[in-house]
Amino acid sequence: MGALSIGGSQLDASWFLLLAAVLFIMGAAGVLIRRNPLVILICIELMLNAVNLTLITFSRQLENMEGQLFALMSMTVAAAEAVVGLAILVDIFHVRDVEDVDELSEMKG
Amino acid sequence: MAIAIFFIAAALTLAGAVGVIASRQPLRSVLSLVVVMLGLSVLFLLLSAQFVFVVQVIVYAGAVMVLFLFVIALLGPAREIARGKLRFQSWLSALFVLALLGLMWTMLQGIQFRQPDQGVDLSFFGTVQSIAVGLFTTYLYPFELTSLLLLTAAIGAIYLSRKRIDE
Repeated sequence: MGALSIGGSQLDASWFLLLAAVLFIMGAAGVLIRRNPLVILICIELMLNAVNLTLITFSRQLENMEGQLFALMSMTVAAAEAVVGLAILVDIFHVRDVEDVDELSEMKG
Repeated sequence: MAIAIFFIAAALTLAGAVGVIASRQPLRSVLSLVVVMLGLSVLFLLLSAQFVFVVQVIVYAGAVMVLFLFVIALLGPAREIARGKLRFQSWLSALFVLALLGLMWTMLQGIQFRQPDQGVDLSFFGTVQSIAVGLFTTYLYPFELTSLLLLTAAIGAIYLSRKRIDE
């Protein structure tokens, strides 16, 4: 049932899902390991892209358009969030140079 | 043929993802993310999502990534220190990533696909018409809400980048 007939060949939906899962985990690893806040934002975008791939895979497998519509909504939200996140980042960098995201801790405690 | 396209696009995407998390310079991370998005758009086209393929290339790779590049150009070269305040951060990250990998693996093993919906006209699947029908009839309310969301984001960005008088 996970088999997809694409262009005459037989693919399987689980290949796409595995790829999306690997991309998501790599994005999560990037968020955990990297210290530059800009690179952390980029890895969040990577995770969002992986989720879009999952949505579109299931949309194709179930032959239901809702997955693609949700992926479009997800792209819109990702764009809006990137805009605001980058604006905040530029605002912070205007005042001081951030090398380590942990040093942005004025609101701690 | 489609299998070959899938594996080439998947390899490109994975190479780009490795480039995103492993590049020392943020510029290389952003360019690797563009490669990831182009590879993903090929996969979307393979999955009969023509409109999402075009939107991914034009909007995501062509606008959001350009925004990231502008910000990198604005912020200048980045210095990233190798070790942060949290001790054993790389070990804890590796542990978490392994746990997440295990979780994803078990979820993918137990996956059960249900039957596709009946009575769907596949010649219109993924076309602009079917997207429009869904977006402007059933999902009109979320569509209007996303327009409101984009307006809010634009206002927020303009406000955050205003010129301060006291500087």
